[in-house]
Amino acid sequence: MGQDLLPPLLSAPVVETWAFYILTTLSICLAIAVLVDRVVIRSGFILIGVFGTISGIFLLLSAQFLALAQIMIYAVGITLMVVIALMLTNPRLEREQAVGYYDESLPPLAKIFASCKRNLSLWVSVLSFVTLYSALIGENHWPLSDQAVSPDAVKVLGEALVTNYSIPFEFSSVLLLAALMGAVMLAKGESKNRDDDNVAIVDEAKKQENNLALQR
Amino acid sequence: MQNVVKVEEPQSSVKLALFYALIAAAVVGIYAGSLFSPSILESIVTNHYDFWACLGLALAGWIFRSVGGHKGAIVTMTVLASFIILTLHQPMLLRYLTFAALLFSMGLYGMVQSRNTVRVLLSIELMLNAVNINLIAFSRYVDPVALKGQLFVIFVLTVAAAEAAVGLAVVLAIYRSRQTVDMDKFTLLKW
Repeated sequence: MGQDLLPPLLSAPVVETWAFYILTTLSICLAIAVLVDRVVIRSGFILIGVFGTISGIFLLLSAQFLALAQIMIYAVGITLMVVIALMLTNPRLEREQAVGYYDESLPPLAKIFASCKRNLSLWVSVLSFVTLYSALIGENHWPLSDQAVSPDAVKVLGEALVTNYSIPFEFSSVLLLAALMGAVMLAKGESKNRDDDNVAIVDEAKKQENNLALQR
Repeated sequence: MQNVVKVEEPQSSVKLALFYALIAAAVVGIYAGSLFSPSILESIVTNHYDFWACLGLALAGWIFRSVGGHKGAIVTMTVLASFIILTLHQPMLLRYLTFAALLFSMGLYGMVQSRNTVRVLLSIELMLNAVNINLIAFSRYVDPVALKGQLFVIFVLTVAAAEAAVGLAVVLAIYRSRQTVDMDKFTLLKW
């Protein structure tokens, strides 16, 4: 019964609007938390929430296969890899500095100018959003179609992947193989021809940095 | 060095995000209710003052922030309010496209601003997701039969997986030689 009930319910404009705004609100909040949070490993975990809400948006756009692929590839695979890389690179010693500092003795107007200067990249991204949005608003001749997505979308995708798009499909497999081999080669490193003096120096530097981080 | 004061850190970003989500749901509810009876917001929409309203919101939030408000709260409320004002009177496709543009520029900000290399990679993943939303929205509303956009999304997912693997391996290799993941300290290729 739910199978028959869900698509017309989702295609009703009010329900789609409410679901869209709930999902986008959640994902914007979580994405800002990813960008703002000081602890990198926590922002890596919050990123799972962003990908989950984006897969909800894919479901709203009736792309069920891609929603599940999004959860499997992004929310599990890539985020897990990011978290493991963070654990290997010991990010607790690398708190990001010089972002939230300001001189309190300045008058308010000077503070405004100082923060404008400090956050130039924020203004660049705001400008890029304004540019994209005005481009979207100016273009109002999209060739929209009224049809719904066919229920056997997975069949359409599979057939296209092995007929019209078989060459990019094969090339993407080659790309994945090459990228994974390159990643293994890069991450493996060479551990045999390090001489002992270097190891001692590096260990000493690491110990000092650990002590500094503990004192902080 | 004495008069340099650290702005208060967000204690738990997840709690903060949930709180702002509640507030934003309230804002959406009020605004959607105002669609049935004319109000200030309605006049903003009908007279096409939405861009200037968002600009004013952002300026007010920015002044409040630079005088000493909480950064995450101001940014989140400004972005959410601007997004809702800009998209509520649009057709569905433009809403999705605006959301993707917002996510893309947020990822751009994170990519340029953050000093940790792994956070740069996270921001790049955000930008790739924005591109995916664009492609799927177009395939839903423009080409719902052949679904070429979803095909492209499959390839983007593949390339994103490869990119994440290679990027993290590069981060590990650099960390092994330089003992840091700070972007400002990667000066190996500097002339």
